[in-house]
Amino acid sequence: MISTELLLNLSWATALIAIVFIVLVKPNSKAYIAALASVITALSTSIPALQALGGATSSVSIFAGSFLGSIPIKIDGLSAWFILIINFTSVTGAFYGIGYLRSYQNNSAKLSLHWSLYVVFQLSMVWVCMLQHSFAFLVAWEIMSLSSMLLVIFDGHKPKTLKAGLNYLVQMHISVILLTIGFIWVYATTGSFSFDAFSTFFANNNNIWLFLIFFVGFGIKAGFIPVHSWLPHAHPAAPSHVSGVMSGVIVKLGIYGIFRVITFLESDFLMLGEIILSVSVLTGLYGILNAAVHRDFKRMLAYCTIENIGIIGIGIGLGLIGIGNNSPLLFFLGFSGALLHVLNHSLFKSLLFYSAGSVYQQTHTRDMEKLGGLIKQMPKTAILFLIGAIAIGGMPPFNGFVSEFILYNGLIEALKTGDITQTSLVILSFAGLSLIGGLSILTFSKTFGVVFLGSPRKKLHTVPQEVSKIMLFPQYIIVAVMLLVAFFPRFFLNSIQCILQDGLKNIAIFSSVASYSDNIVAVNYYFILLLVVVGIIWGIRSLMVKNREQQTEGTWGCSYVAPNSKMQYTGKSFSKPLGKVFSFLLIEEKKYAELSDGEIFPKKRKYVSHYKDFFEYYIFNFVTQRIVFSANYFKFIQNGRMQSYVLYGILFVVLIVVLTGLNVLK
Amino acid sequence: MLSLFLIVIAAFFFTGIVVRTKSLASGRKGPGIMQPIKDVIRLFKKGAVYSKTSSIIFQIAPTIYFSSVVMAMLVVPFGQSKGLISFNCDFIFFAYVLALGKFFSIISALDTGSSFEGMGASREALYSMFAEPALFILMGSFALLTGYTSFQEIFAALHIGSYLSYALATLATFVLVMIAMIENSRMPIDDPKTHLELTMIHEVMILDNSGFDLGLLLSAGYLKFAIYGALIVNLFVGMVDYQYAIPLFFIIQFLMAVVVGLIESFMARFRMNHNAQFIVALTSVSLLIFFGAILILGKFN
Repeated sequence: MISTELLLNLSWATALIAIVFIVLVKPNSKAYIAALASVITALSTSIPALQALGGATSSVSIFAGSFLGSIPIKIDGLSAWFILIINFTSVTGAFYGIGYLRSYQNNSAKLSLHWSLYVVFQLSMVWVCMLQHSFAFLVAWEIMSLSSMLLVIFDGHKPKTLKAGLNYLVQMHISVILLTIGFIWVYATTGSFSFDAFSTFFANNNNIWLFLIFFVGFGIKAGFIPVHSWLPHAHPAAPSHVSGVMSGVIVKLGIYGIFRVITFLESDFLMLGEIILSVSVLTGLYGILNAAVHRDFKRMLAYCTIENIGIIGIGIGLGLIGIGNNSPLLFFLGFSGALLHVLNHSLFKSLLFYSAGSVYQQTHTRDMEKLGGLIKQMPKTAILFLIGAIAIGGMPPFNGFVSEFILYNGLIEALKTGDITQTSLVILSFAGLSLIGGLSILTFSKTFGVVFLGSPRKKLHTVPQEVSKIMLFPQYIIVAVMLLVAFFPRFFLNSIQCILQDGLKNIAIFSSVASYSDNIVAVNYYFILLLVVVGIIWGIRSLMVKNREQQTEGTWGCSYVAPNSKMQYTGKSFSKPLGKVFSFLLIEEKKYAELSDGEIFPKKRKYVSHYKDFFEYYIFNFVTQRIVFSANYFKFIQNGRMQSYVLYGILFVVLIVVLTGLNVLK
Repeated sequence: MLSLFLIVIAAFFFTGIVVRTKSLASGRKGPGIMQPIKDVIRLFKKGAVYSKTSSIIFQIAPTIYFSSVVMAMLVVPFGQSKGLISFNCDFIFFAYVLALGKFFSIISALDTGSSFEGMGASREALYSMFAEPALFILMGSFALLTGYTSFQEIFAALHIGSYLSYALATLATFVLVMIAMIENSRMPIDDPKTHLELTMIHEVMILDNSGFDLGLLLSAGYLKFAIYGALIVNLFVGMVDYQYAIPLFFIIQFLMAVVVGLIESFMARFRMNHNAQFIVALTSVSLLIFFGAILILGKFN
């Protein structure tokens, strides 16, 4: 048996060696080195993770100088679950990226930087899940944020991409400030940087405020409203394999952080649970509403990530309410629904980003109104996207249904226990989750229909073709794992049960949970039955229509004889009725010139319409504008004259001397 | 098992009765009650015309739509007898499997590249999405009231005891009838007999389907109506013995068909942009049921 320490050392050593090689080798093999490094890192960290899921928590510690002391590293079930998800998605991302970045071969420096950062990025994410020491955690967290920011601005020559990257950078640092405040608070109270200090803190102090600081801090990473606004900018700007990994796992590290803090909580579960539940339902609804109206399909997917974070949050909220109500069943249903949805979402969201990336690579546009009929040129990508769309809508027979079903079960359970406040909150969440489900059907039927079906809306510069095998292969693997979750949910639920048993608060998981999870895993029989029914009817249909005549004609155009492809229903008009109903939330900005008086022969004119993010538009932009406005009054300080700056320096020194002389500073 | 047979039998007559009622109400004799079924059988024997624009999605969608309705049918119980599949929270499976069918019917409409069909698809997606919370709140309230979570157990445990529960049953019937109307694209949400493509919802989505596929779509529609009828019957049947329950099933289905026929004869369809408000109003009726349920449970003190 190889020791954990050795494996962990291997993981970072691989990254360092890989970076050297990536810089040295030819441009076309850089990606392969990165993929290899990604696999080795994945293997070396997945082995202890798998052991941890089996119940063998491994902990080691590194001595890091006299200031920090020894840094505890622990891989328990919770870390293991996230480590495995990170590794799987990063490896598929690396392989997909080989094909995706093939057209950038002539830009060696850019590729070197990109792939080196990719390796560092994966490593830092994995280490974030293992470190149990505030200071080291923040360092790893920062490396992760910075490397992902640099990955996002791969197309840094585009101002929009650069702006998205900066936006991401700033928001991540607001998150870090909050986390630092939280950690310092714990340090100031307990005098220790180790995560164990959290238990001491929570046992002796009020739980709510520290938890809320961490919830907001990690929530920025995860994308809870109203602090989600980096997501819809960063995800479309990044290259698709990076957006797949970012959306699949980096936002999940926010969830990991929240889970990690929850493991130390000691009181106020009910209230915190209700807060998280309310925020999450609103996050889900807000995310999917925005996803429904946007025409940039990668931005749509980014908003959809916000929706899914909301769904995961519903599970976390339910789990906390379960602890508060002392109901093991609810605790189990809530947290296992959340954890399973973390896995599921990382699978289908990376699948969707990869297949969307394939579309972008072939058509060079992210605007779905310019596309159409791609299923004919890219049938495999189309089917992969369709599978992702069905799964993310939570429809049977895919994995999304399993986790959403667990959450629905949890909501029903929460309905039955608890007082009237909780019951009312839960019934609204129940309706909210069903509305989220309905909206995601609208969103994804629109996206799939507009991008892949019908006929092309605009002539593209190049004829799109099916993407290369190396880009398709990782997607097939993801689909295979999705089917595993859908048809063998017991295996995954058992692992989650292990995590919950030892990792989180020790509520005795009694037998009712086991029988309940039997009920849940039985859904796979109904999935099979559904497939059988489809098979039978398809068989009958094939038999019946075999010898019938079949004609191919134009689409019925209601007797109009000169239809063209621009007359197809657009995605914009598809979601317009929804946009109208929710116009108070979905702010539409139209730019067009009205006909002026007496303009008898109208010239060609433009009409532009965009949806704006409510929170960004009304709250953040307002606040930043005010800040910039008031900062203007202090412009005279930075006036560009060397003399003034020297004066500031002298004033500062004098101030220090005077204050020290007066014994103010010691 | 029993519910399966009953629903299929009811599906045979349901649409015929609706059509007959409408004919009689407008002073015509009208076609025989079996005419819709004869239409389907005729369609099953026909060849098909496919649009040049359409892809494989257009061909598999009717099959999946029909299968989803069949799966939903298997979940529905009848009084004491369970549906073919019955488990905790099976009503969620019921809703989601129907959603799968709807998803495919929407994308198959978009597959034809027709602006009319896209319009219908957009409306269908919007309205059925709004109807979802009403059904979920209704079922959630029943789960809260009875303490059970599967269709059969919920319906078996629903006792019509106090005056309040009469009120709840009435409201629930109203909600279920209205959801049935929305899901089946009937009046007052959608007018299946309109002749203008711009004002249709469901009919316009299947403009390009023909032959066997159209037969599947139509028969799925008949089944869907009977399924919702069966749900309403279940509100009243409870633990009643079969010799009364089975006739009651057909009487209620018959009454519902007549009511649908009468509504369609004497009401105009709502304005399209008022539909959303109407459907959201259904959710508030469901919330009334919820508050009734917590009143009965005495959670207010």
